[in-house]
Amino acid sequence: MTGAEILIESLLAEGVDTVFGYPGGQIISVYDKLYNYEDRLKHVLVRHEQGAVHAAQGYARATSRPGVVIVTSGPGATNVITGVADAMVDSTPIIVIAGQVGNAALGTDAFQETDLVGMTCPIDKWTFQIRKPEDVAPAVAKAFHIASTGRPGPVVLDFTRDAQNGVAEFKYNKCDYIRTYSPCPEPDEELIDQAVEMINRAEKPFVVFGQGVLLSHAEQQLLEFLRKGGIPAASTMLGLSALPSDFPYYVGMAGMHGSIAANMMTQECDLLIAVGMRFDDRVVGKASEYARNAKVIHIDIDATEIGKIIPADIGILGDAGTVLEKITEKMQFSFHDEWAVKAREYDKVENTEICLPETAPVEGPIHMGEVVAKVAAVSNNEAIVVTDVGQNQLMSARYSRFSKTRSFISSGGLGTMGFGLPAAIGAKMGQPDREVCAFLGDGGLQMTIQELGTIMQEHVAVKIVVLNNNWLGNVRQWQELFYKERYSQTRMLNPDYSLIAQAYGIKYRLVEDRAELDEAVKEMIEAKEPYILNVHVEEAGMVYPMIPGGKCVDEILIRKDEWFDNGR
Amino acid sequence: MTMEDKLYIISVYSENQVGLLTSISSIFTRRNINIESLTVFPSEFPKIHHFTFRIFTTPESAAQVVRLIEKKVEVVKAFWFECNEVNASEHDIVNQFLINRN
Ligand SMILES: Cc1ncc(C[n+]2csc(CCOP(=O)(O)OP(=O)(O)O)c2C)c(N)n1
Ligand SMILES: [Mg+2]
Repeated sequence: MTGAEILIESLLAEGVDTVFGYPGGQIISVYDKLYNYEDRLKHVLVRHEQGAVHAAQGYARATSRPGVVIVTSGPGATNVITGVADAMVDSTPIIVIAGQVGNAALGTDAFQETDLVGMTCPIDKWTFQIRKPEDVAPAVAKAFHIASTGRPGPVVLDFTRDAQNGVAEFKYNKCDYIRTYSPCPEPDEELIDQAVEMINRAEKPFVVFGQGVLLSHAEQQLLEFLRKGGIPAASTMLGLSALPSDFPYYVGMAGMHGSIAANMMTQECDLLIAVGMRFDDRVVGKASEYARNAKVIHIDIDATEIGKIIPADIGILGDAGTVLEKITEKMQFSFHDEWAVKAREYDKVENTEICLPETAPVEGPIHMGEVVAKVAAVSNNEAIVVTDVGQNQLMSARYSRFSKTRSFISSGGLGTMGFGLPAAIGAKMGQPDREVCAFLGDGGLQMTIQELGTIMQEHVAVKIVVLNNNWLGNVRQWQELFYKERYSQTRMLNPDYSLIAQAYGIKYRLVEDRAELDEAVKEMIEAKEPYILNVHVEEAGMVYPMIPGGKCVDEILIRKDEWFDNGR
Repeated sequence: MTMEDKLYIISVYSENQVGLLTSISSIFTRRNINIESLTVFPSEFPKIHHFTFRIFTTPESAAQVVRLIEKKVEVVKAFWFECNEVNASEHDIVNQFLINRN
């Protein structure tokens, strides 16, 4: 077999059913062989390689299986860089296979040669250049092992022409061991015991959990831990949907635009238990003041995260599910009802001051939160919500409701505009039986709008809600609040989306009037095909609450000039 | 460089891998740490390379850098110590690791 065939056989051996890609000169041998496998391996032809990576990320986040990308060398390879960086910081397992020039041409500035290894190894989990056909199967096996174990992440295989065209015997051995790589450390029992004691003694324990819970499939363990300990819990943005939104101990999202309860309780708790999260600055605000009254237990699978931002009194290295299970078994039943109900008091203020006016305004233009809440209600809180970046993302995170896990897909750490549309395509291809609804800003949509072509060609039944404010709204919000309303380059005009939808043959509806919204959302959710719902929303909309960058997490703006006052 | 910075040696044992030096040195450059000197040579263990970096930094940052280097898939072990110390246990630790995980 040629190296190109070995690649495809290896992907099949790993159970891959879908790949996202774009052909070109230095990967043409692989595409030639793919032609023979059309019945066994679905190739989704995107419109730009960035779309392929984000689609693979969406696929991986929705299914927990690695997403696979195939691109050509040079510009094909550089076009995936944003997605690789995004997948790294958001711990998403993807495997990028990029063509590369022949071995003899390496380093000669040959046509479409670029130093992909040099470019990606600082921003991915593993990079490997395959130069020989006999290295293909072992490299793919290692790639899957590395991408999907421990803290998952992107892997890049730089696949030279010689390795594609050369011939070797095909024999596939899955990789489950690399001697220099220990992805899943066994938690230290002594530290578990210390943590149990600390939790038993705490009067106001509080949990902040992140995507680690989803990645470790530890949703059930988290639930049982919280129940037994009677512990209120907040989620990071990427942790959303790990707990059902109506779980009694759940207090909402933590961080810059999180709930008042989540942020205030972080400052009031006497023990903060961080599970599978990395204390991103959007969560922490001013790090030196974060959780200032609390001892900290940090559970994570990545040793470099423990103590990186917030010093841990106890740092437990291990899989979130395993650690939580061990702690739950040993700790005592507790109730902290007086403490836990504090969340409901904060919620009362947040609901009247912020949530109700946002989700159920009676007059004026449509609000973003209103649209998000409506979609959640109509889809029975069961949809996979994919977002772009900006106010659309924050509003989706705040006002979506979740009843199923793995239902929130968004670019967190990198904040990549243009992520939403292709990620939604990948999510829907990975979970065709689930409703997938993408909330996109008008700016972000236009960054990867070409992927409407992929939707057209593949009939991907994603539901696209454009939260159209004619602004780069999130930047506009900062300009209004912190740059004296000097709206430098944030006013953005939009094309006529009805014509764009028509050009791509995608169902379309425009809503400008509140009276139409309900019916339009129902029509969209009931549709069996792709659908674009363009909603003209309030232009000067703002996302509150907001903790301005660098402030303590109890310094919360609830309106332009009004700070949350705990006294009332 | 600040007043508290001292000269540290970061000592790394790793399997040979194209690109590894790039990714390790980017760990330093991202943190604005200059590499004062760098050596790469075959270690006493077969197929294992020994990298040493001399850098000015704080103990906290040296420790974090070592954790980040150890996170690289091919790295066997990494150590940090002050420049004038000798780290006698290094050999034994690497040796034990290679015996345990073969
Ligand atoms: C690729 C990229 N470029 C720039 C930014 C900075 N940025 C963050 S939010 C935002 C505005 C987004 O506008 P839009 O997509 O319309 O969403 P809105 O905030 O209006 O909902 C910008 C420019 C980014 N996050 N990503
Ligand atoms: Mg906008």
